[in-house]
Amino acid sequence: MAIIKAEKTPDRSAPVSETSVMGWLHKNLFSSAFNTLLTLFTLYIIYLTASGVYGWGLRDATFAAENRRECYDYSLTGACWAGVIDWLDNIFYGRYPREEIWRINFGGLLLALWMAPLWMGRVKGKVLVGVTVVVFYPFLAGYLFSGGDKGFFMQVMVTGAIVAFAINMANMITGLTKNMGLNAFIIQMLEQGKAPDKTQRNILLLLLAIAFAAAFVWQVNWTVEGVSWTKWGGLFLTLVISGIGIASALPGGIILALGRRSKLPIVRVLSTGFIEVFRSVPLITVLFMATTMFPLFMPEGFVLNKLVQVIIAVILFNACYMAETVRAGLQAIPKGQFEGAHTIGLGYWGTMGLIIMPQALKHMIPNIVGSFIGLLKDTTLVSIIGLFDILGMLRSISKDVPWLGLHKEPLVFGAILFFIICFSMSKYSRHLEVKLSAGHKH
Amino acid sequence: MKLKTSLAPIVALAVVAATSATVASAESTLEIVKERGHLRCQVGQPSPGYYNLDSEGNWYGLDVSVCQAVAAAVFGDKTALEIQSVSSQARFTALANGESDMLSRTATWTLTRDSQLGLDFLTPNFYDGQGFTVRKDSGITSAMELAGAKVCVTTGTTTELNLTDFSRQNDLGIQAVTFEDYNVRDDTYLNGGCDAVTGDKSSMAGNISSFPVPGDHMILPETLSKEPLAPAVRHGDNQWSDIVRWTVFALITAEELGVTQANVDDMRANSKNPNVLRMLGAEGNLHEGLGLEPDWAYNVVKAVGNYGEIYETYMGDGELGIGIPREGSLNALWTNGGLMYSPPMR
Repeated sequence: MAIIKAEKTPDRSAPVSETSVMGWLHKNLFSSAFNTLLTLFTLYIIYLTASGVYGWGLRDATFAAENRRECYDYSLTGACWAGVIDWLDNIFYGRYPREEIWRINFGGLLLALWMAPLWMGRVKGKVLVGVTVVVFYPFLAGYLFSGGDKGFFMQVMVTGAIVAFAINMANMITGLTKNMGLNAFIIQMLEQGKAPDKTQRNILLLLLAIAFAAAFVWQVNWTVEGVSWTKWGGLFLTLVISGIGIASALPGGIILALGRRSKLPIVRVLSTGFIEVFRSVPLITVLFMATTMFPLFMPEGFVLNKLVQVIIAVILFNACYMAETVRAGLQAIPKGQFEGAHTIGLGYWGTMGLIIMPQALKHMIPNIVGSFIGLLKDTTLVSIIGLFDILGMLRSISKDVPWLGLHKEPLVFGAILFFIICFSMSKYSRHLEVKLSAGHKH
Repeated sequence: MKLKTSLAPIVALAVVAATSATVASAESTLEIVKERGHLRCQVGQPSPGYYNLDSEGNWYGLDVSVCQAVAAAVFGDKTALEIQSVSSQARFTALANGESDMLSRTATWTLTRDSQLGLDFLTPNFYDGQGFTVRKDSGITSAMELAGAKVCVTTGTTTELNLTDFSRQNDLGIQAVTFEDYNVRDDTYLNGGCDAVTGDKSSMAGNISSFPVPGDHMILPETLSKEPLAPAVRHGDNQWSDIVRWTVFALITAEELGVTQANVDDMRANSKNPNVLRMLGAEGNLHEGLGLEPDWAYNVVKAVGNYGEIYETYMGDGELGIGIPREGSLNALWTNGGLMYSPPMR
């Protein structure tokens, strides 16, 4: 006699203790006398902190005042944000002439637009976008920020940047609207789709040459006023130094890591020596060497731009750290991958570029982004050698006579700013990891 | 042995390079500055009263005015100037390697620095000294009453050394509480972490004015140290050191003669005092030895005012001043019992 129910037992909803708020609270916060005590204690601490921060930072705080004395007149215990607000231009742009600040904003906007296609699934030719942004954007931005007279080389590079940017934008539009690359779109418009490949290529090259010539003629008359690098500062300077550092540290690190694993003894010894020397000294020492010792070895009166010295020092220093990160990634790749690549006839660069690096870099993303965040924060050391980066500016507020002694508020503001930037970087790296590891989740 | 032989040519090359560099630098600082078109004047990291950034990103302060005065003397334009802010660790190196043309920062003139660092200190433009700040309600009225007291002090300067010396000399057993940053030092003092603060009297006057209730604090009368703060130039270029020295003297002389930024044009045209006319270049040839234009001192006063005006603006009660009384201090004019004295300009 089998006991078989003909109909399905009706589904029961999950017990109240699993779904209700009370149930969750009970399970997670008040499950035992000790846990209850702990919860209450923690809540009390949180309350103390939050009310303290609220009272100091918002309730008693002054947001509009002429000087610190007015803040004190309003409240002796609250924060004086008026000083930070008064100094915002300095904090973000340094001593950059106020009427020229649009150039910095415009440069930032250009970069954002230039990189935008990298996030758009439908746009074609992403590798080219990435390459042009590294090759051309620095020259356009460099001229935009420092201005003055353009040499011939600079004119060519600026023209190249303008053309590359225009093509990039057009390519993005055709990609989004027609779902095709710009080159395919042009060929289609000219009804040359059936023409031989060579003709198509020549047409495109001709158009490119015309665009280049037009841009060149236009840019000859486009000049902006020169701004000395000594006026650069604030968050802008921090981002310039760390931006260049980030963009060059990864390629530099890859080259050094490959050098260190090379079979050629001289390359290997040089790479290893370089990495070990720079990794064994603190960044501040490298910075001091670069800015104070280096000019002593140069002929008298020879003054190299201090900013350039700092940037070179930051690049060299971080390339060495990056090299070790990359090397760790390379070591995680099984030998079979190398052998497999050799079997299908790939040479050294083919093996590295097509098989090994893509796998290794994917594994290294958390470490690489970690280094980048570290680099961004390390650049604040340049305030010690007299550059007014964001930290230098934040610390100078307390010395400005109207805001004398105002030092806590600027640092809190700086901490919030850094948190926003670093947290976005780390979020983005998580996003990259998920995207790249789609298909083989562990 | 083999290493040594292979190094020899490199060493020789370095020696040749060094000699040729010295030969190339025969040009005088004045020529280099004129050729470049602007003066490179070194200050330190912002310090109230002496050199500060305002919210527009411009430099201002007593020492900045000296930089502007020298730029005005050389170019007739106080904006032909690049202010370099250099950390105190790198300040003398930056002057020695030619990065800066002159130093106008709170560097104390001492024998060691003057004789061993390859630089020359010129006319002091501010006489400072170390002192103590205490709370008025503590009842302390003299530094001698600080026995066993906890005193807040910043590290890494002579301030800490002077405090220890003072304590030992007077057998006071003062306990030093050290800080890297003087904002933190002041916060600790305000929160009751120490009984007194020690530092340069000028900077402490500024700091007190930034306390929540300035009236609750006072500076004790004792001065622990002599701190003559003077501009400095590289050793060996006497023409250039004359220019900087006499620019500072011109500021003092202008005050003595009653020449101000406002009346300098009038004085040059209508004054009956031959000293004024000589200084402002209306007659005589004072400028020739310096290698400057005849109206150099006129340009200086026109650009930044006289010493008294500068003091009032940045050190005194002016809007950007940090409120250090000048009357009766070492920084008063010699005619008022101070040390500000210029040799005659004739």
